[in-house]
Amino acid sequence: MTESTKTDEKTSAPPAPVRTSAVARWRWGALAVLLVLAVYAPFQLAPFYVFQLTMVLVYAVALLGLNLLVGHAGQISLGHGAFFAIGAYTAAILMEREALPYPLTLPVAAAVAFLIGLGLGVPAMRLRGLYLALVTLAIAIFLVPLLKRFEELTGGSMGLTLAKPQPPAWTGLAEDQWLYFIALIVAVGAFLLVASLLRSRVGRALHAVRDNEIAAEVMGVRLSFYKTLAFAWSAMLAGVAGSVYTWVIGFVSPDSFTVNLSINLLAGIVVGGLGSLSGPVLGGLFVMFVPSISQDINDAAPGVIFGLLIIAVMYVAPTGLAGLAGRLIKKIPRKKE
Amino acid sequence: MSDLVVDGLVAGYGDVRVLHGVSFTVRQGEVCAILGPNGAGKTTLLRALSGMVRTRGTATLGGTELAGRSPDTVARLGVAHVPEGRGTFMPLTVEDNLRLGAFVRRGRAEVEADLERIFTYFPVLKTRLKQEAGSLSGGEQQMLALGRALMLRPRLLLLDEPSLGLAPLVTRELFRIVQAINAEEQTTVVVVEQNAHLALGIAQQAHVLETGRIVLSGTAEDIRADEQVAQSYLGYRV
Repeated sequence: MTESTKTDEKTSAPPAPVRTSAVARWRWGALAVLLVLAVYAPFQLAPFYVFQLTMVLVYAVALLGLNLLVGHAGQISLGHGAFFAIGAYTAAILMEREALPYPLTLPVAAAVAFLIGLGLGVPAMRLRGLYLALVTLAIAIFLVPLLKRFEELTGGSMGLTLAKPQPPAWTGLAEDQWLYFIALIVAVGAFLLVASLLRSRVGRALHAVRDNEIAAEVMGVRLSFYKTLAFAWSAMLAGVAGSVYTWVIGFVSPDSFTVNLSINLLAGIVVGGLGSLSGPVLGGLFVMFVPSISQDINDAAPGVIFGLLIIAVMYVAPTGLAGLAGRLIKKIPRKKE
Repeated sequence: MSDLVVDGLVAGYGDVRVLHGVSFTVRQGEVCAILGPNGAGKTTLLRALSGMVRTRGTATLGGTELAGRSPDTVARLGVAHVPEGRGTFMPLTVEDNLRLGAFVRRGRAEVEADLERIFTYFPVLKTRLKQEAGSLSGGEQQMLALGRALMLRPRLLLLDEPSLGLAPLVTRELFRIVQAINAEEQTTVVVVEQNAHLALGIAQQAHVLETGRIVLSGTAEDIRADEQVAQSYLGYRV
């Protein structure tokens, strides 16, 4: 529709559409390059680095969910790690106790996390701001003792150890490469799902809730419905990420899912870029590498560096690394049309 | 047939009661102005009509009860509310803002047609379609808010202080468009306004609200002729 009008009028065409299409071209180009690199990388890197990249993808899926809730629906969650843990434990218990083939544990983990998210979201999403933050924080806090308590099911403090999924012979892949490609496929799938969701009517409703509750409400957007739905979806994606985590690590224990995980995830998405599509990937890199790199400096360094980086990002780039990248791309001069 | 009949409407926030039994009728296709000082309950009245505050009493549109319904039900019944301060979704594009106006409607083709129809009232919006709404001027944002409300195909349009923070010239243009919309679409309009002069210029009926009660009602001419109103709100003729 806009294409035809643009060709018709050769005089004063508004500059805005040209700019957005240029940015869109950049974005698709960057995405294609990234995908090629992502497929190429595991054949070039040592297994340990492949494992690290796999974890980046796992965190990216969890952050995709958190971004939906925080970046797009404008709510906060300090308990995202709890849903990650629920997904991880669901997969582990099904593989260990029920001997379910691992691919089947993903949809079950997603469903369990979604339903628990829905159940907790109904009361929690009536709160806002600080109160919502505290309630979601409580979810993250009570999960660890809960996991330790139900020992017959969860293995208690010892956790559960599982056999990692083995690559089928026809692929000719090593274990680390196989796990990497599983994580990549799940991540790309989740990315496409979220991207199409955001382009739909539902995505507009979420943005409306985020940007102006009163206006959204008079437009007929049911605030509590969409907030709760966003919470449940974000929990579902965390659950999906959690199940892949279980496959990749082959071990779950309560101490892997402390409150720290939730806080790291929230920090990751804020630094990566709230409300942007590349934010979760950049945030995944952050969550994966910043703690492990800073651990080499000093045992107490991760907390300090995390805190300082968040403050720095809030000052220098309130839209996160993704927003910073977007601003740089817009600065690149283009040829005159 | 789609008259708005408000009878004994009581509304407030928590324990604080703001409206103490407000009654008035707006006939279909008419413009009704609600005047009054700050804190009189004008905004609360509009919020009560669109289901955003708790109410007692009744408010029917064409015989259907609005009072006590949830905001989304009221929107589905064809009530569009332009909130105080415009309620622009700043980071979204102008187009997304407009499409959100049609959120409760089905039928893609009709919505597309309405989008075009709205550009005939507000040509400026068409040139800014892909632009962030937050980058529009105040006047343009108010036009966007009005256009967005029209996307609902409202039977009743509630306008809360459309002149707020706008230059006099822009405000006059805005009221001219409201008048055109009212004439062409037969939309019933309730407009809350500090600028009594402009509001009375397009209204048939007017009510003066003071501390939650209607203290004066009449045709726009009557109200304009009233000395008290002239002194308090019009600022001329003593």
